[in-house]
Amino acid sequence: MSNAWRSSRVTIFLLLSLAAAPPTWAADHLQQIKASGTLLWGADAEGGAPYVYPDPQQPEKLIGFEVDLAEALAAKLGVRAKMVQNQWDQLIPALDRGNFDIILNGLELTEENQQHIAMSRPYFVYAQQIVTRKSDAGPTDLAGLARKSVGVLSYSVAERLVKELPGVDLRSYPGNVESLRDLKAGRVQAVVLDLPIALHYAKPEADLKFSGAPFAQGYYAIGVPTGDTTLMLALNAALVELTEDHTLERIYRKYGLWDERQLALKDYRTESAAPARAIPASQGWGKQLNFLLHGALTTVELSVLGMALAVVVGLGVVLVRLYGGVPLRWVAQAYVEVIRGTPLLIQLFLIYYGLPQIGIRLNPFLAGVLGLGLNYAASEAENYRAGIQSVPSGQTEAAMALGMSRWQSLQHIVLPQAFRVVIPPVTNDFIAMFKDSSIVSVITMVELTKAYGMLAMSTYNFIGLGLITAGIYFGLSYPASLFANWLERKLQYDRR
Amino acid sequence: MIAVEGLVKSYHATRVLHGIDHAQQKGEAVVLIGPSGCGKSTFLRCLNQLEIADAGRITIDGVSIQGGRAPRSSEEREQQRQLRLRTGMVFQSFNLFPHLTVLQNVTEAPTVVQKVPLAEAETFARELLAKVGLEEKAQFYPAQLSGGQQQRVAIARALAMRPQVMLFDEPTSALDPELREEVLRVMRQLAEEGMTMMVVTHEMQFARDMADRVLFFDAGRVAEAGPPDQIFSNPQNERTREFLRCAGTR
Repeated sequence: MSNAWRSSRVTIFLLLSLAAAPPTWAADHLQQIKASGTLLWGADAEGGAPYVYPDPQQPEKLIGFEVDLAEALAAKLGVRAKMVQNQWDQLIPALDRGNFDIILNGLELTEENQQHIAMSRPYFVYAQQIVTRKSDAGPTDLAGLARKSVGVLSYSVAERLVKELPGVDLRSYPGNVESLRDLKAGRVQAVVLDLPIALHYAKPEADLKFSGAPFAQGYYAIGVPTGDTTLMLALNAALVELTEDHTLERIYRKYGLWDERQLALKDYRTESAAPARAIPASQGWGKQLNFLLHGALTTVELSVLGMALAVVVGLGVVLVRLYGGVPLRWVAQAYVEVIRGTPLLIQLFLIYYGLPQIGIRLNPFLAGVLGLGLNYAASEAENYRAGIQSVPSGQTEAAMALGMSRWQSLQHIVLPQAFRVVIPPVTNDFIAMFKDSSIVSVITMVELTKAYGMLAMSTYNFIGLGLITAGIYFGLSYPASLFANWLERKLQYDRR
Repeated sequence: MIAVEGLVKSYHATRVLHGIDHAQQKGEAVVLIGPSGCGKSTFLRCLNQLEIADAGRITIDGVSIQGGRAPRSSEEREQQRQLRLRTGMVFQSFNLFPHLTVLQNVTEAPTVVQKVPLAEAETFARELLAKVGLEEKAQFYPAQLSGGQQQRVAIARALAMRPQVMLFDEPTSALDPELREEVLRVMRQLAEEGMTMMVVTHEMQFARDMADRVLFFDAGRVAEAGPPDQIFSNPQNERTREFLRCAGTR
């Protein structure tokens, strides 16, 4: 499956946790589980339906096919199942740290995953499904998605598949619902989802349809700490029993997930099965670097345009606030306070997902520039205010005495002097925006941090790619600070 | 040239000008003296509208403004601007524009306010800088000049607008004694050329030498007025005598 809510913190956390040595499992881990009477299974309830999710009727209770499966497995082991909530893309390091006994949360059976943890025999056969609007002819296979705008879930298999298509306009969404909503609203031409998600969320929608057959079949399997052989054997035995006594079928039917693909589970043989590959990662350093640089270009575009907007709007806000009439002055002040007092994330959500409800539909890039620009305008206005107020009142008096109007004295005397004072704080904000712009990935932009996350999740090269990404950020922001220093020095007219 | 009738000004509850009347001929140099806080600077600032008088009328070179409130309509603002264009102001703290060169300080207002072409403004600015003895400092920034030099630039800057009246608000108070003379020399020259001037100062020697008339301010009123000989040699008012005794001029 795919995780739902991700944040840039996640990958950093993962990077740090990889550095910690994993605990070595005592051979009697299974005995410990049996003695404690509880099988702790790690999953992310925010991943959504139909895996593990809050019961709509009873939100404090979790339901989902994996909840039922965990209980059935635990019953076979003679213990109770207890879910441990954990952010999806941190599940593997959390297992390494011993936060829970197993991972049971749509973890794909892949070589990459098996390099880090052991994996059981599969318990579910998944595939990818293309969803389009009912009214559209729409592409029916993966290749048909080339040069189209395609919504996917962040860090999902679909994201990795679609990203490789030529000329595709990839939009990565943080949750299951948003991509389908944008599909209905016509902001994307197709959405690719894991079949279970598509069945749960897209199937009931009257104006959406499954376009073409499911493809890119793969397996979900249980993640087990490396070397924990007894637990692995017990789980595999339990899975075989659950398959043969049709418990799995019963569970999957309950959630509307059963299909003939699941029959393959019965015949699965670890030794005969081709090692799952399934996940195309961008191969080769050149290609990866190119992908990162492409993200970096987006970051630069977002930051430069966002800052340009912030600098201009901030100036307007501060002029109204300092020199406007009374009602306008209050509006400007309210703007600064409200924007400063609310999270950028919420502002972006409102601009991207909220504005369409009143008929303003912006593409993710414009929404990102607007969100960053309007947010930073508030702090630029405050920077300017400090700068303008640092110019002695004698300057305005001298200008007025020479016959200048208020506006002329502001334009020719006060603002040029304030300009130099605000260079350092504005540069600081510009550099901060380089980094803050990563938040725009929540409205589907693939900028540098998101590009890093996508590559790292598919290659597990967190440290190497992380250092390169950090290097690119530094390479972007350092020249900005050098330029600011140079400009400040150049404008040091009062140095004797 | 200057006519002031019944000028009143208060700050909150404190009245600092109690109805000043004053008339001044073209070419006349008037020096305002008096203890600190007596209202002489406020009077000067009212004349070019840096302070708005509460009541009274100011007329300079035919432009007339009634006190009471800040101008609101565009005609009122234009009146105010016209009054300011007829007066040049020199401040105690110079208030040069630090981000502009000496030359730009002098050309800025003519080019911005009167839309004088830059080349023309620069020619005149160099003339004025030569007049105050700073032609060679044209490309310097104010921070690179001494206080006396800065004040001379400030005088050139005010003259660049071709004012009818020059107002000096304690122009030498922020200067070391040895720098004062260079500023006073320029002011003397201006007076000799027939500039109508109003000077608030503590320079009693300057007042004695240059003034056509001296006004002694005390507690918001003109306590005594007359030619310098009379004020300095034979003051009639007790407060004037006391002030001059303390100022050490008698």
